[in-house]
Parts: sequence; C-alpha cells; structure tokens
Amino acid sequence: MPADSPLSRNAEPITWNFKLLAQHELGGFGGMGEGISITIAKDGRRIAWLAHESAPKNFTGVDVSDPRKPKIVVQTDLPKPYMRSNSLECSANNLMAVAYQCQKVGQQPAGMELFDVSVPENPRSISFFDTSGPHSRGVHQLWFCDGEYVHMASGAPGFEPTHPLDDQFYRCVDVRNPAKPVEVGRWWMPGTRRGDNVAPPPRHPIDKGYRAHNTNVYSRRPDRLYLCYIDGGMFIMDIADKSKPQVISHWTNSPPYTGFMHTAVPLFDRDLMLVTDESTEDAALDWPKLIWVLDLRDEKNPISISTCPLPPVDAFAKRGGRFGAHNIHENVPLPTSWKSEDIVLGTFFNGGLRAYDISNPYAPKEVGTFVPPAPNGTPAGAVQLNDVFVDERGIVYTVDRHTGGLYILEMDF
Amino acid sequence: MDTPRLFATPDSGPFGRRQARPRGARIPVIVVTGFLGAGKTTLIRHFLGTPEGRGTAIVVNEFGEAGIDDALLRQSTEAVSLLGNGCVCCVVRSDLQLTLRALVADRTRGAIPGFARVVIETSGLADPGPILQSFATDRALGDSFYIDAVITVADAATGAATLEAAAEARKQVILADRIVVTKTDIADPLLTTALTERIRHLNPRAAIATVINGQIDPGILLEPAPSDRSPFVAEAEHSDGIGSFVLRAGGPLPWTTFARAMDTLTALRGPDLLRVKGLLNVEGCQGPVLVEFVQHLAHLPVELQQWPEGSREGRLVFITRNISEAQVRGLFAAVSALG
Repeated sequence: MPADSPLSRNAEPITWNFKLLAQHELGGFGGMGEGISITIAKDGRRIAWLAHESAPKNFTGVDVSDPRKPKIVVQTDLPKPYMRSNSLECSANNLMAVAYQCQKVGQQPAGMELFDVSVPENPRSISFFDTSGPHSRGVHQLWFCDGEYVHMASGAPGFEPTHPLDDQFYRCVDVRNPAKPVEVGRWWMPGTRRGDNVAPPPRHPIDKGYRAHNTNVYSRRPDRLYLCYIDGGMFIMDIADKSKPQVISHWTNSPPYTGFMHTAVPLFDRDLMLVTDESTEDAALDWPKLIWVLDLRDEKNPISISTCPLPPVDAFAKRGGRFGAHNIHENVPLPTSWKSEDIVLGTFFNGGLRAYDISNPYAPKEVGTFVPPAPNGTPAGAVQLNDVFVDERGIVYTVDRHTGGLYILEMDF
Repeated sequence: MDTPRLFATPDSGPFGRRQARPRGARIPVIVVTGFLGAGKTTLIRHFLGTPEGRGTAIVVNEFGEAGIDDALLRQSTEAVSLLGNGCVCCVVRSDLQLTLRALVADRTRGAIPGFARVVIETSGLADPGPILQSFATDRALGDSFYIDAVITVADAATGAATLEAAAEARKQVILADRIVVTKTDIADPLLTTALTERIRHLNPRAAIATVINGQIDPGILLEPAPSDRSPFVAEAEHSDGIGSFVLRAGGPLPWTTFARAMDTLTALRGPDLLRVKGLLNVEGCQGPVLVEFVQHLAHLPVELQQWPEGSREGRLVFITRNISEAQVRGLFAAVSALG
C-alpha cells in the first residue's frame, strides 16, 4: 500500500452504500460511550438517548424526529469528574436506566440510576441503586428492555475479586417498583471471587479481566441470558430462576485470540449467534478483533462457523487510535429497534461502521461502509466509531468515542 | 431448492436476501457505448465534473481515450490514474475482468479512493455483448458488479448513416437502456429527425436524450434501468435477424421448469440469445425474481422485496437472433408438460 494511501489518510472519508444524513457534535461534548436508545415522547417526538464515554457529561437526549435535523433537547452532567456513565438503556414505558462507574474502587456514587424520561427536557430521577464498595467500581454496562428487570455488569459492596480486574459480574435487579430496585440474582465466573472453591482463571497476555460485559436478555427467551465475560469468553445462561443463574454452555476464542469478548446477540429465527470482541489497544496491537458467527442449533454446543471479514489491517493500523470490532446493533426487543437476522451492523473504531450480509452465514459479505473523516479535535487522530443502533425506520445512529458525537445515516443496500 | 436450508430466515428466499433493488449492494456499472466520434468522451468528462460524478471509476480501453487533461492527473500507478473529484481512471490493458477485480482490490487495501460506481467507456464500434457477458455469473464479475444501465451515444450528423452501415452500431442501439443523441446543434434537423426515428424503430423502449457539448443531466447516466422491462427492439424483420418478444406468465412458475427450459435454450442456441431479462413469479418466493442471461451465461437470480406497481405477473423480455417467440413458447410448454 502506498504510504499516502487514502485509507491511511485519516481525513479521507470512505462511504459505500450508506448515506450520511447528519452529524451532531453535541455541543462540543461528542465523546460517546456505548449506550444508544430511542424513546417516543408523549407528544410524538422521537428521542435518541446517548451515553457519554466519560465525564463531565452524563447523557444527552437528541430529538431525531427529522433525522436530517437532530436537535439537543437535554444534556446532563455527572456529579463527579471521576465518574462515567458509559451505558444506558430505555424501556418502552419511558424508563431509562443509566450505569455509573467510577475510576477507582471505593469511589461514590457508583451504581445505577433510574429516570422517567417521558418529558424529554426534564428527565426525572426515580431511584438510585448503589453498587459501590471497597472492591467495586460500580456498573459498566446494563441491559433494560422489559421495564421490569435490569441486567448489569457490576461490582457489589460485599464482593471481593481474586484479581482487581475481575470486579464486575452479572447482577439482575428487579425494578418493577422503580422507586425501590432490588437485586434478585447474581452470577460470577467461578474462581473470580475470593473464597471460591476453584482456582482463579489464568491471566491473558493482554490482561483485561474476567468480568461481565454485555448482559443481553430477549423477550423471545426471557429465560436465557447471553453473557460476555471479557477475557472469560461467552456464557449462555439459564435464568428461568433469576435467583439461580445456571450455565448452559461456554464458548471462548482466547487464547489464541486476545480476549475481551464483548457482546452476544442470538438470532432466534436462524439458530445463529453473533459474538463480538472489543479492540482495546491502539495501532491494532490486539488485531484481529472480530465479529464471530456461531451455529447455535444446539445451545449446549455453540460452534463458530465464520467471521465478518475485517478490512485490511495494514490499511488502518496506523490511521490513529483503535482498529477492530466493538459494538453491533443488538436487535433490541423494543418497538423502536430495527430487527434483522440477515444484516449485521458493527463499529470498528477507526475502521468505521460496517454492514455485513450474513444470509449465507458461512460467508458473511460486507455490503456497506462508513468511515467519516477524523472529527474535529479528536486526540485519536482518526474517527473511533464506538457504538451503533438502528431504529425501526432503518435509520442508523453511530457515535464517535472522542469528539465526533452522533452520525445519522440511511442504509442504501 | 429441495435441500433443507440451514439457518433459514424470514428475510431471505432460495436466492438469498431479498433485495430492495436489482443491484443489491453490488457496485453499479454504467456502460457507455457509441459510434466513433459521437462524443462519449466529452459526455463522460462533463459528468465527472458534476457533483453527482464524484467517486466514479472510469474504465477505458486505451489510455487517453477518456481525454482526461494532464492537469487533472494527480497520481498515476501502472494502470490507474487519480483524477479530481474523487475519481479514478483505469486503463484496460488486457482483460476487463482482471482490471475491475484489481480496482476492487486496490479500493479495499486503500491504494485508490473508495469509488462508488464504475463507468466503462467502450471503444468505437465495439459490440457491447462481450462486455455484458463479463458481468454474468459469479465466476466472472457478477458477485461484485451489476450493470445498472447501458448508454449508447449517437451523433446526429452521421448517426443514421452509421446505423445503416454497421451492424455493431445497430446492436449498440438495440442493447441500450438509454440513448443520447449528440451534436444536434450542428446537424441538419432532417438528419436528427431521421436518426431519432431509426433509433425509435430499433429500440422503441429506450429513453432518448439530446445533449449538446456533453452537457448531460447526470441522471441520464445514473438512473438504473428498470428491472421489469427491457428496452429491446420490437421489430422482428431486422436484416440482422434480431428480434424481441415478451413472455408473460401470470401464475407462479416452478423454478425447475424455468431453469430446465433456459438450460435447454442456452445449450442449443446460446450464441443467439443476445439478452434475456425480466422478473419472474417463482413458486415459493415472496418477491419477483430478477433473471438475466447474456448468450449462454446466466446472472445470479436476485429476489426483490416487492413487485413493481403491485403487479405479480412475470415478464421476460427476449432479444434473440433467428429464434422466434413461438419456438421459445413451445419449449417452455414442453418443459412444463414434463412436470
């Protein structure tokens, strides 16, 4: 590849089968996390709720009724500079759960806050679920669709991990009375809690911890939890009894891959599953970070059958920041979410947004690409697309991790 | 189709994911053909200068034929030149397939900008048939590229005479989805009228646009050809023996019936099937299935999400050489009777 190839030039956009409708830098606070959710306000406005990657902002609500003209309706601040609210989810009844994680164990406030967002300009706090503790950083990620239970990756006051990086585990919180959230179940990977009767798991060369990340539960199978556990791989869990989650199966790619399993999305109609890694190292040092396609005909025995093809690492490694898989559209079981079992949309940091046709799951094929130019003022030197969500209209929302804010797109494939 | 399908999905049929448009996610290709000196180069140069022309890869048969000014050249590799407006110009040195595959590979690895379409400028009096063939079957280019439209350029001053003299010119008109008549400002109006009438006679369905000094409406190049009709010749008495007809089928057709009939036809008379294109109502499919043949080669069938205008009638346009409608109908009837 020539040294000055268009791909290595981070200002050169790459757009294939997507149409950019709008970009919004969110008032200069365009560093976004991995929480995008859509609600319909009582007056009919469509609001995109966006989690910020780090302080000072908590979350931003954007009116995306006209996707070509997004408008901020509210933007809130975190009470402490060491906090981050990287994840949020909204349920159909206009409740929003926001994850609060602190930089160090023992810091407060750490936990989960519930809001009533039926009046978008004025999100009303309903309750706070405290998960702080001497060994807890709080909640990193949460899943909340049914309006009844929040599934989260969190520490807890009485939980002492065997390794400091293993502090967050699966917790299920009953919010049927949103004013009084109550934990109803928890599970951690055996060996990660001090006092477990099994040895701690071996550390990976790039040690990112054995702890929970995405905790997906779908209305099609409310008795199943699809849990990614970072360096611990992916677990399919039976949560018919929420107080006693049981492992059905475990799948991992690491080693020889470099860990950080992030998200698992079942494709129920097709007996398939998508599993993503997250790239966490700059300059592709942890390459390849992939989206994996699994045969899930037997949930006790998930089998990897393909991966979505990555763009060439040589073309992106030096473009700036991270390069590799991260979040995908998760077919969130809400009326405001697009559902597809043939198309996968995923963010790849400086590799942008990619869409894949997996109608033949043995041979995923890229059908759309969106790599915007480096956003203004980004410290990464290139775009770092972090998360993606598609609403039921097929409008795509993707966000930059540092400064670029929100990009709104149409699929054209 | 009789094999149990693993991982079946509501959004896909026997031919894969249902597509919103015929090309799906493939790279659109616009083939610009035309008579010698008709003004193809001027037309393409104008298009490249418009905002709509941004991100075009132009493929020419010989370097310089596109008439790109040296001033526009920013960087050259062995075969690819980077132009302004995010465009690239590529020379076919030997094989069109190799050239286009190299373009995609270069785009993927970042050696050239991410072009959004390909415009192929054919040389002079080339028969467009072999180019269309290159895009049939997934073993050739059909998995990555789709011919959105064939544009034929004819100049008003000499076009009518050229049509009379050259069989290739007639084939260019017959196979065109759209026809651009140039130089009407300097041609005798009577010649323009004669040319237009002759074109209309050869190809009554193709839209005809008039362009002066290459000032083309970009939409004439960019608009995909309709998938449910084909702009082929209506006359059967043409001296080249070329004729066209439409097969219509109201009810759902078993795919095996269609496939067997076309297998027979292509095996026996492939060279005389200039182009077959249309939408079929196939048993077991929700949407229409787009099929296309160029001589003995078949494009991959594509199931579309919706029938156009609510109709569910299959319409298949044949353009053939010395094959009659009755012969094709008889073949289909015979194969259907076999069950």
